[in-house]
Amino acid sequence: MNAANPLLPAACRIIGITDETPDVKTFRLQTQGGAKPFAPMPGQLAMISVPGAGEAMFSITAQGEDWIESSIKRVGALTEALHELSEGDAVGVRGPYGNHFPVDALKGKDLLFVGGGIGLAPIRSLIRYALEHREDYGKLDVLYGSRTTADLVFKEDLFGNWPQRMGTHITIDVPEDGWDGHVGFVPAYIEEKGFSPKGRACILCGPPIMIRLSLASLYKMGFEKENIITTLEMRMKCGIGKCGRCNIGSKYVCLDGPVFSMAELDELPPEH
Amino acid sequence: MNNFSQQQQKIRSAASRLLADGTVRFVIGWAPTRFAERTTVLFAHTEAEAQALVWNAHCTAALGKYLLDHRLADYAVGIVARGCESRMINRLLTDHQIWRERVYILGAPCPGMDAERCAGCRERAPVVWDELLWDADGMPETGGRQDAAPTNLDEATIADVGAGLALPAVGAACSRPLDTDTSLRSRFFRAEAVEGLSAAEKFSYWDEVYAKCIRCYACRQACPVCSCRACYVDMDRQGFQGKQHSAADNRVFGVTRAFHVADRCVECGECERVCPMGLPILGQTQKLIKEIEALTGEAYVQGMDAEEENFLGAFDLDDKDDFL
Amino acid sequence: MMYLLKENFDKAREALAGAYAVVVPDEVLPPKDALFPRSETLYETDRRTGEARAAGAGGKTLLFGVRPCDARAIGNLDAAFLESGYVDANYAQRRENATIVALACAQIPSPACFCDSMGGSPHEAPEADVVLTEAADGSGYALDFQSEKGSAVAEIWKAADLIGPMPAHLEKAPAPTCTLKVNKVPDLAQKLTAAFEDGLWERLAEACLGCGCCTYVCPTCYCFDIGLENRGGTADTFRCWDSCMFPGYTQMAGGHNPRWSKTQRLRNRYLHKLAYFDERYGRTLCVGCGRCICRCPQGLDITRAVEWGERL
Repeated sequence: MNAANPLLPAACRIIGITDETPDVKTFRLQTQGGAKPFAPMPGQLAMISVPGAGEAMFSITAQGEDWIESSIKRVGALTEALHELSEGDAVGVRGPYGNHFPVDALKGKDLLFVGGGIGLAPIRSLIRYALEHREDYGKLDVLYGSRTTADLVFKEDLFGNWPQRMGTHITIDVPEDGWDGHVGFVPAYIEEKGFSPKGRACILCGPPIMIRLSLASLYKMGFEKENIITTLEMRMKCGIGKCGRCNIGSKYVCLDGPVFSMAELDELPPEH
Repeated sequence: MNNFSQQQQKIRSAASRLLADGTVRFVIGWAPTRFAERTTVLFAHTEAEAQALVWNAHCTAALGKYLLDHRLADYAVGIVARGCESRMINRLLTDHQIWRERVYILGAPCPGMDAERCAGCRERAPVVWDELLWDADGMPETGGRQDAAPTNLDEATIADVGAGLALPAVGAACSRPLDTDTSLRSRFFRAEAVEGLSAAEKFSYWDEVYAKCIRCYACRQACPVCSCRACYVDMDRQGFQGKQHSAADNRVFGVTRAFHVADRCVECGECERVCPMGLPILGQTQKLIKEIEALTGEAYVQGMDAEEENFLGAFDLDDKDDFL
Repeated sequence: MMYLLKENFDKAREALAGAYAVVVPDEVLPPKDALFPRSETLYETDRRTGEARAAGAGGKTLLFGVRPCDARAIGNLDAAFLESGYVDANYAQRRENATIVALACAQIPSPACFCDSMGGSPHEAPEADVVLTEAADGSGYALDFQSEKGSAVAEIWKAADLIGPMPAHLEKAPAPTCTLKVNKVPDLAQKLTAAFEDGLWERLAEACLGCGCCTYVCPTCYCFDIGLENRGGTADTFRCWDSCMFPGYTQMAGGHNPRWSKTQRLRNRYLHKLAYFDERYGRTLCVGCGRCICRCPQGLDITRAVEWGERL
């Protein structure tokens, strides 16, 4: 973050692009000087700009020694411009913004990560953190679904890295030739797996309909609102709690969020 | 002299009846504010609320655009309509924005209100209605705006909406001073005032106008022609309209708006009335209407019925193309 | 107490033109434009390297004739831009460079004024550097220099021989009181927030046109958009006023809009003015200047929401 002017981006470049799905790419970014733009906590946000096209807020899905990574779905003008870029191209980055997943409060708990579609991107930052600090957490499970196998993001993690280190449960919406894994929607799959709410927190992110139905399933299974954590998406312009548009009541998602427990969201107006 | 209080009673009775017999969900009319020279718009949902409707020279807002908020409704809406509102309604009907059977029109011939938009008005009586509340006979067919004294606030109780938010009246004026000339002007007096200027004068005149515009889009919001589901202004992704509040971007908006609405404009003048900066918006549109008349040699008046063709929207193989 | 004769009022303003860019507030728009411009360039980006260079944010300005409500509004902008959380660089620079000369209201300027119901006063402007208050006999103005920036103004006026000690027999005229009295209950913020689901919001919003007029004439509305304009090899990133009354304000690229209806947007605006800002910054955002009431083309009146508090 530029201390003198928090709206000023740092000049960065793309050092790697992974095609995740037909409309999702993961961009690995570092400063033009070869350093990590900043060290985010899991769940924090970055404002990424394409020179000449504009900027938008994204969750940071991973970080390394000298890079950060964001997985970005092509949905609007700015993300289209981003998807046109190649390795070596210049981008601007400012951040990190927002709060983060409560990594300390979650210590000692079993963690259930539930994601749908691109919703796995913000959760992945916490999964990576939990795996790096494996001794701090109990049993780890990820339950992830997408429409088709082509829409599954982070395939290397889903089928390579994670199954060896944590419970990995993948589902697609409809049957597909060559897929012998689970078929069905995420909420039903959560219930089918019968995760015990005892000593377990659930971290949930995905499209609104999936969230709504998954919450119903989790409540039915006995999960408390305090133990269900989600991360919100809002239109944002400044990232520093000034420009106004990402408010839910008196809270700004860019400052006080994006991570909220369902208990916290219950205290706020239903405007998200 | 006018018959405002008698007519007000007719509006209230008709609105009460329509609400009582379930013909409409609510009736759109005017209600007093705390300020003697201003009214607000009231959606009367109950017979009691219908008794708060007023009719006086300060009923300056034209109500037609509100119908668009209810275009997908499965209920009927009642509306008090003067000449201007009735032409707005025809506009929305022609553009297939609303269903005729879902609007119940209480026709209210108008003596001309205390608003500059009324100064060149030629259509005081409604051109479409379900029920004509009073005769247009004896009412000046045309005339300038009213220069009205503040309404008597002793009778004015501020509209008691919903849970009962009645407000005490304050009493003094709360609006910007109007042109003192209240005589009937020529239809295109606004455009003519600018036509007289030299090219350089025109340029600086419009520069000044666009420097003042704050792009609140009140003109668009009030306009019955602006019924696009997505205005070009809001198409961020295409970027037609720069968002900067600069004179240049303001000019792009002003000129685009004028051309976009010109051949469907019903000349209600709401664009000009609602402008907080007092900019001459109707004059700009009327200049284009005047050009249409010059080009075709025929009178061009929109909103007179619900199935008219508009100049740019209609295509004919015999259209002249010598302007290309 | 120093004193300025009425006949020297214009000269006093002119005398400042050498040291400052003097801004006299417009009659419709609030003075916020001088600190938070309708449009300003934030930085210029080299499109090849992504290198961003901050643009400057102006030199010394002096706002002459600011109303006490508007001075109070600047205090609220300070809270939002400077005092809590991140400091906004451009606002900070303009604010640092700005001197505020307030003119206490000798008469209440508009029947829609209700500053004294919102905790303000037509005569007090603690945020201002200088306050001019009319003397009881109307001959001139008593001068309160309230800061170092104010003393600098005093020096210029003294050097130009425009001011002198206030004659002993004169005193400040008593403060007028607003004709519009609005009963704001002490726990308005909590009450309105608790009434979030009340059907009355929809009734209050029925007559709203959905334009942004109220937000642009408001001295405390500070929402902005950030956009970009290409200039060949470089691109200017600008920010400009935005309005929470426009649907596009919260519209996300994927199509979801948390405040898709007019009622939701009006409720959010009223609650920001009367509740949310209180919760965050400990002060009510609305200062009671009355501009939104006067300028709303459809006669909407925010004091309805204030007085609703009595019934909640």
